[in-house]
Amino acid sequence: MNKQILNFLTLVSLLFFQGMVAQNSTVSGLVSDPSGVPLPGVNVVEKGTSNGTSTDFDGNYSIKVGNNATLVFSSLGYESKDVSVNGQSTINATLAEDASQLDEVVVTALGIRKSTKALGYSLTEVGGEEIATIKTPNAINSLQGKIAGVSISQNATGAAGSSRVVIRGSSSLSGGNQPLYVVDGIPISNGNNGSASLWGGSDGGDGISSLNPDDIESISVLKGGAASALYGSRAAGGVIIVTTKSGKGQEGFGVEVSSQVTFDRVDTSLQDYQTDYGQGLLGAKPSTATGASEAGFNSWGPAFDGSSVPQWDGESRPYSYTGNNMDRFYRTGTTFINTVALTDAKEDLTYRFSVSDLTNEDVLPNAGFNRKSISLNTTAVLGKRLTQQVNAKYIIEKVKNRPRLSDSPGNANFSVGLLPGNLNVNDMLPATDENGAERQFTDNVFTTNPYFAAFNFNNEDQRNRIIASTSLRYEFTDWLSLTGRVGIDNDVIRRTGVTPFGTGFSPLGGINESEIRTNQVDADIILAADKDITDKFAISALFGANSNHIKNETLRLGGGEFIVQGLEDIGNTVQQSRSRSLSERKIGAIYGSVELSYDRWAYVTFTGRNDWFSTLSFPGKETPNDDFYPSVNASLVLSDAFEMPAFIDFLKLRGGYSEVAGGAQNAYQLGLTYGIFGNPLQGQPTGRISNGSVPNANLVAFSKNETEIGLDLRMFNNRLSFDLAYYNNETTNDIVNVATSGSSGYGGASANLGKVSNEGFELLVSGTPIRTENFSWNVSLNGAYNEGLVVATDDVDSDVNLDEPRTRNVRITHQVGERYGTIVGVSYERDASGVIKYDIDSEGVPRAVEGERKTLGEGVAPITLGFTNSFRYKNFNLNMLIDGKFGGQIFSGTNTLLYGRGLHKNTLEGRETGLVVSGIDAATDLPFTTTVAPENLQSYWGRISNIAEEFVEDSDYIKFRQISIGYTLPQKALENVFLTNVNVSLIASNLFYISRSIDNIDPESAYNVGNSQGLEYFGVPSSRNYGMSVSLKF
Amino acid sequence: MKKVILLLMMALVIGACDDGFDELNVNPTRAPQIAAANKLTAVQKFISSQRYDNWRAGLIYQSTMMQHIATTAGYWDGDKYTWNRGYASSLIDRYYGNAIKTIEDLKFQLDNEEAPEEMKAIVRILRVFAFSRLTDLYGDVPYSEAGKAVLEGIFLPKYDQQSEIYPDMLKELEESAAALGSGTSGFGAADVMYGGDQAKWKKLANSLMLRLGFRLIKVDPAASQAWVTKAIAGGVMTSNDDIFYLQHDSNNRNGISEVFAADGNPRMAKTFIDFFQNGNDPRLPILAARRGDGSTAPADLLGFPNGLNNAMLLDMTGEENTDNYAEPNRAILAGFEAPMVFQTYAEVEFMLAEANVRWSIGGDAATHYNNGVTAAMKQLTLWSADAAIEDGAIATYLANNPYDAANALEQINTQYWAATFLNEYESFANWRRTGFPVLVPVNFPGNETGGTIPRRLTYNQNESAVNAANYEAALSNQGPDILTTRVWWDVQ
Repeated sequence: MNKQILNFLTLVSLLFFQGMVAQNSTVSGLVSDPSGVPLPGVNVVEKGTSNGTSTDFDGNYSIKVGNNATLVFSSLGYESKDVSVNGQSTINATLAEDASQLDEVVVTALGIRKSTKALGYSLTEVGGEEIATIKTPNAINSLQGKIAGVSISQNATGAAGSSRVVIRGSSSLSGGNQPLYVVDGIPISNGNNGSASLWGGSDGGDGISSLNPDDIESISVLKGGAASALYGSRAAGGVIIVTTKSGKGQEGFGVEVSSQVTFDRVDTSLQDYQTDYGQGLLGAKPSTATGASEAGFNSWGPAFDGSSVPQWDGESRPYSYTGNNMDRFYRTGTTFINTVALTDAKEDLTYRFSVSDLTNEDVLPNAGFNRKSISLNTTAVLGKRLTQQVNAKYIIEKVKNRPRLSDSPGNANFSVGLLPGNLNVNDMLPATDENGAERQFTDNVFTTNPYFAAFNFNNEDQRNRIIASTSLRYEFTDWLSLTGRVGIDNDVIRRTGVTPFGTGFSPLGGINESEIRTNQVDADIILAADKDITDKFAISALFGANSNHIKNETLRLGGGEFIVQGLEDIGNTVQQSRSRSLSERKIGAIYGSVELSYDRWAYVTFTGRNDWFSTLSFPGKETPNDDFYPSVNASLVLSDAFEMPAFIDFLKLRGGYSEVAGGAQNAYQLGLTYGIFGNPLQGQPTGRISNGSVPNANLVAFSKNETEIGLDLRMFNNRLSFDLAYYNNETTNDIVNVATSGSSGYGGASANLGKVSNEGFELLVSGTPIRTENFSWNVSLNGAYNEGLVVATDDVDSDVNLDEPRTRNVRITHQVGERYGTIVGVSYERDASGVIKYDIDSEGVPRAVEGERKTLGEGVAPITLGFTNSFRYKNFNLNMLIDGKFGGQIFSGTNTLLYGRGLHKNTLEGRETGLVVSGIDAATDLPFTTTVAPENLQSYWGRISNIAEEFVEDSDYIKFRQISIGYTLPQKALENVFLTNVNVSLIASNLFYISRSIDNIDPESAYNVGNSQGLEYFGVPSSRNYGMSVSLKF
Repeated sequence: MKKVILLLMMALVIGACDDGFDELNVNPTRAPQIAAANKLTAVQKFISSQRYDNWRAGLIYQSTMMQHIATTAGYWDGDKYTWNRGYASSLIDRYYGNAIKTIEDLKFQLDNEEAPEEMKAIVRILRVFAFSRLTDLYGDVPYSEAGKAVLEGIFLPKYDQQSEIYPDMLKELEESAAALGSGTSGFGAADVMYGGDQAKWKKLANSLMLRLGFRLIKVDPAASQAWVTKAIAGGVMTSNDDIFYLQHDSNNRNGISEVFAADGNPRMAKTFIDFFQNGNDPRLPILAARRGDGSTAPADLLGFPNGLNNAMLLDMTGEENTDNYAEPNRAILAGFEAPMVFQTYAEVEFMLAEANVRWSIGGDAATHYNNGVTAAMKQLTLWSADAAIEDGAIATYLANNPYDAANALEQINTQYWAATFLNEYESFANWRRTGFPVLVPVNFPGNETGGTIPRRLTYNQNESAVNAANYEAALSNQGPDILTTRVWWDVQ
């Protein structure tokens, strides 16, 4: 290369990286602990300047300093060390462990950083690198299996879907149970923007999924009430505090680039269908196209024989198994996540600016999404005592064709999942006939040609969201400060849904246009004091006030029946409708907290908060619209207070009591109102009561009281540690929708009658069995057990009904005295000894008698486990995560239909020679044994498929969730390039189930993220994900 | 000083903690009350109801059980006497939350506002009609306590016995008829059924009394005769101008028409086509058309057998192309603005004929029969001007199918069955009351009824869980919640 050009480039890069110009020699080296293990993240600073760096993953550092400089090495938990450079180019340092500082600082309520020593409650912080290593489109899913007591379940709907996060069990029967998310000090909306129900539909995504995984610095999970009491009513489900990267801790200007690509493939090994019998009814093959359409999904034909049999489209094809239709229909999905971030840290100004793009193509053909986000976090020192922070994020998300779930209309998964073995899904292409109408393969218009569902239905969302906050902090003295903070979360979703012209169940089609606006403004003012009173006594206190205002508005235009075929516009429709819905609510609050500490080993903290709710306010209301929540917690660091055996590094006992609670989550629940609905009939307006549920003018806030104790023990030079927690909480006055008979005219009634208790244990054991210079092995096991009980629903212990699946023979129900969210459904009728009773029909076919609805299981698994192993060998590292859930059950709608349609393996028995059935004849109460003829098996299994008991099974699983293998380039290799850190990882997730107690379906499959867990019905089949990620810093 | 400012700021914040909250929690998109007239129009719409229940309870079950309609489609359970609980309970599922809820609220408002008695009477008549549909189809149903969760705090209504519902409904009709005079009621044009015409409502009250009085014929013949006599004396419908129906419009579509638009499966049942063809009935080319090409030539109109699947159809007829069979004539019947008919003058005439046959009251049976047939043919113009049947054709039909005193009850009620096509609730009830027409049951493999035509539809399955005590009480009074249990008035 031409030398002049090289010089020019050098000059340019020198100008560009001007921060580096002033130094005159480079010092590098290795920092390790006394046993020789390299220490990552050690700050290396030139004494008396702001020049500094930190060690990489292998303990290496490199810094340009003046020849006479002194380097200061410091790291939390180690004694800091000064070393003079004296012209050396290599300085290796060994840092001694600092027993007195065996402690970390974590983010707690209101963003306050506290030493873990002082915490009288359980809090888990997950660092950004854990979220960035294997990035999931919804960053919160990265916590799955990693935190004891936090249960995460995702909808079976692809990458853009919602997740349900529940901490320490659900505490409200009907209200939301997900935690409050606080991002950089500001609560953000986490509404679910639509979900599938028994009649189908699609998941609309949630609020927390907007965050870019690369922007996250840390996530703190405040599990218990004592941890979150300062947030008051919104924290009844716990709090998750997300801190985004700010450039703090960075030295000088830097650039980070990270890229990840993953490939998703439907895991067809989960399904195990019969492949021996094909389409037909009552043991007979169809003889005509009409007969084939009528047979539809029924695999009640004879055994495959290769003969030519007509199919739905009039073509005759061999009557034999054609292979796996899921493999044919679903494509390989891809997800790219790319982020570029610029950071700079100067004396007065620190900032981080990032731009990110996520592009996903879903496994379901023609579905996917894109999310672009821009984030800017700055901290500015405005004066000697005044600091300002500004955090802003702008997110643009476009989602194409959110998959339809649950019921069959428009649900490709339903059609593909039930096809008889001799039908090939590719024969359904093209999806339309010459008139543009759906080519229907069954006589039921409500099942949709899967390609028509994927390519002709058109659903799009565009979301524009701004999450921004600013805070000003003024320090009166070194111990007294005033902080004002205001934040906004403005989220606008524009959604278009088209049922196209020519759809089987809607021949003329239709269109919906909607705009969903959510605006949340939150403001705090906090006066904080932090003072050592004597040598040993210290006090830390704060007082504040908060205002939270949320407004949701939805505008919707509906158009039915297109006039001009192919013109998918609201104006081109015959039946037009429009609606506007509005919900506005406010919470006002004052709060305070006082922490007293003695000699840095005994801490006690009191908090109190009073919340006022607009949703509990109503003219003339007699009951209060506010509630007060106190809490107290204490921490004793016994290892600091007393002499301990040498192998104990740290021992802390903690305990707390708290009251948190919630008001009504929905506005306008207190009074009866009327509305004009629909279009005028013969010019006459029509009006009615608009409440679907009986209003209650005297609703008050519910409260949740929690007691928690815990122990934190670290031993053998931190090589083995235990964290144990026990908690017990009870929610009283829960606002429930008491079940009413439909004949009362209403679907339920609100009342403060619910009581729920939760009790549980959490355990975290972590250890470092091996730690040498070149090799280390870290292992951690977390486990949690939660028992949620429904203590009361109303004064007569009525059931609280939640969702039911399309089969309508089973429902998630809260029953007094039972676990939260039991699965209640139609059972077999049995005699006293448990033998199933049958009706014998006129043809002698026994048909199981549908008995009463019984409790068949619990939809939420009480036990969760996570097991991680990480290995490091030189510059390689290997991380694995295995997780599991136990003790819960799931109702499988898929297996129900596989039985009814003869596609399940269990329906094979007796297809040739008849099935021997014995039981009790319901008419005579006498035992019988008979052989059901092959042609009557359809009727026999059809009846059994009505009985939910048969299809509620354990949902236990152990899953190999994640593995990543990473390589970090050695520091030496980067000496002569401008890069400071290069990491390449191979990643894979959702690899396989190590064990699973239900066949044919993914035991985690769900179609909504509400309180009705334990229902499965034709979601998108789950995928395995493989990929690679690269991160560069310079 | 700074501290004082701080304290003042805090005090301001605290003082403002719930400022304006009362007003904020009042929904700006809703009203605290609306005019009774708006509710009346809604009630009339709710009584006609939506595609949902007209499809399931109306067509899928009753029209096929009554052999007006037939299809091989598996989900048309009434055709095959199979059981889909969600379909069976669809009238309950829609009526209570819409019609009944709004009627009870409207009734309360009128009482509260001390509205004129004739306005209350109109609402009471609509209430009786709605409950008569429910009780005729299901038997014992929530009646006295229904729709009152807000008004009276009743969340779990009891099931009133049909034997108690009927006397109350008849009393309500009697009182309502007495309260109605002449002229226009205060509802005026908001009454989209009769335009507020009190005289028509009075005739309706008596005509419904005639219908409900006849329902008692098997269980209490004396009461039946007494109510029928009282109804005739009070003055029943006298022409097709009195028909009780709702005219739908393009924004408020007829639920049955919406079914025909969405579902290509229904065909005209062979039993029904045979009836028309045997009588050389001029209604045939109006009500039926060949599916494939829309032909209405009587010779092209092939009736579809009930109770078969496609393979069985092929076996039985050799013709399995369902497009070659007759379907309800879309050109006439399937318009979205079609009327939804609840009671016709023709039905009234047939009942008068029956009253004369049974008890020699109400005038000559043959005349009433002729009037009934004539009205039944002429009423089709409600659907379309193209459905007009000339007087000559009617005269010819009556000449060929004259009143047959020897076989009067069967003849009259078979005509009643033909005249209540698409008002399947009434067809099914009258068939159970009279046993006419004589329908040959089907026996589809695996049917629920042992090859007999169902006698009722079943309750919403949730009731056994939510409203268990009342539901169980109904079952212990009436019998198991199955399709073959008979309602109180339907004694064997």
